[in-house]
Amino acid sequence: MVVSVGLLYYCIAYTGYISTLSWDGASPLQQPVGADNFTRMLQDPVFWRALGNTVAFFVVTLIVQVALGILLACLLHSQLYLRTLHKVLIFIPVVLATATTAPVFRQMYAPDGTVNGVLEVVGLGAFAQPWLSNGTAALIIIMSVQIWQSTGIVFVLYYAAIGQIDTEVLEAARLDGAGNLRIIGSIVWPGVRGTTIAIAILTAIGSLKTFDIPFLITGGGPSYATEFLGTMIYRVSVAFSQVGYGAAISVVLLVLAIGTAIIIRVSSTEREKADV
Amino acid sequence: MFETKTLRSRILLQILLGLIVLPFVFPLIAMVQGSLAGSGWNNYRTVLSLPLLPGFFINSALLSAAVILIVLVCTTMAAFGFSKLHIRAKEVYFWMLMVALTLPGVVLIAPLFATITRIGAYNTLWSVILPVAALQIPFTVLLARNFVDGIPNELVEAARVDGANTIRTFRHVMMPLMKPIMAAVLVLVFINSWNEFLLALLFLQTPEQQTITLVPQFFVGQYNNDQTKVLAAAVLTGLPVVIAYIFLQRFFERGLAAGALK
Repeated sequence: MVVSVGLLYYCIAYTGYISTLSWDGASPLQQPVGADNFTRMLQDPVFWRALGNTVAFFVVTLIVQVALGILLACLLHSQLYLRTLHKVLIFIPVVLATATTAPVFRQMYAPDGTVNGVLEVVGLGAFAQPWLSNGTAALIIIMSVQIWQSTGIVFVLYYAAIGQIDTEVLEAARLDGAGNLRIIGSIVWPGVRGTTIAIAILTAIGSLKTFDIPFLITGGGPSYATEFLGTMIYRVSVAFSQVGYGAAISVVLLVLAIGTAIIIRVSSTEREKADV
Repeated sequence: MFETKTLRSRILLQILLGLIVLPFVFPLIAMVQGSLAGSGWNNYRTVLSLPLLPGFFINSALLSAAVILIVLVCTTMAAFGFSKLHIRAKEVYFWMLMVALTLPGVVLIAPLFATITRIGAYNTLWSVILPVAALQIPFTVLLARNFVDGIPNELVEAARVDGANTIRTFRHVMMPLMKPIMAAVLVLVFINSWNEFLLALLFLQTPEQQTITLVPQFFVGQYNNDQTKVLAAAVLTGLPVVIAYIFLQRFFERGLAAGALK
């Protein structure tokens, strides 16, 4: 009893300790300047750019991942060939480190890389360009890498959730003449709502945390087009050694993360009550 | 799920599946192909003959093993405690733990850096092991608690009636029942700790201490951006997790399905 509860409390204390660190560790550097760091942040166009990118990143990756995840989960619950092979292939990007795959993407989108090579071969050579130097293209690439990397998780969660839907309901719907799309819309989608909410929260937090992918593939450039809050904190506090300013952004990031999680949670429970 | 009775719909769905999966495979093919470009298998030979490589592997293995151990011990006990023991205000503690779920690692770099240099752990594996483990625990506790909530209370009570104290109940009743979720947690934690990049990049400075995820970066510096060798190194670093995942795939899915976020 003593051992188990002791370790339990140790874990809580340790995590609690870390969660307070983000303020304690930064406050000695922050206090002398008061709220200056925060006003500076509000006037910093790069901060707003990073925030905008983070929001856009969240919306796009969430929609695409949920759509792909549900479609794949439904497909792989059907009687098709090579299901295990497909499952493994979808999940491999999840287990690979961004640090391992980033060089691949840098190479693919390089001026003399695979993508331009393919365009050349299919006769669209005119569209070939140095992709990562184009701001909009670079942002889309970052999003696509994130989608590539985390759809596997979304898929596995949906796959498990759909497995728990009663097959008799599906058969009844089919007897009543519901098509595939109708079944997804009317039975699967409401059936996996809990999973969708959990995924929305995880994706929101994940977008706020985004660091590895932009850092390793574009480094936030060109001219801040792919700057995210995570990379900005790193750049400000490590590269520019302005730990106080970095900590100010961190605090905002933390508030945003907790706020988003609460908003999604609350709005979803309200919807639940309304449904009843 | 989908209608596959007629041959036509079956073929259509099979093609659809293939088309969706294709973009997922494409970068993997590009990766392997790129690693063989130029001097072919010699790229691998160059990477493998690097004297520091075994060190990187051992560091990553040590890091993952330590993180897995810490997380498993804390998670199983915390899940048991939160779910089955009567502790005052345990929901408040649970909620506090869940707040930590939203903590992005990058927020912690400044305070962690200060703490680690103060206690002299800078450039040791511990400086990465402890934060990585601490950052994983909230999520694994959430998963494991959901799972333990599904285990009937009667089992715990029966053990108590038979005279088992809490520790015995935990070891002989809960541990065997928690195996599926522990397997899922193990795979998840292994993937995350093997792939940890940010903290390793910041806190491990000498190549003797660095982990496998820093190898591609190391090669960028070492070989003046020789892409083929970087990609060969990337394939080699990715291989262990892919193999581990393929072997543990079944346990992982079963565990997640059982403990899944509901």
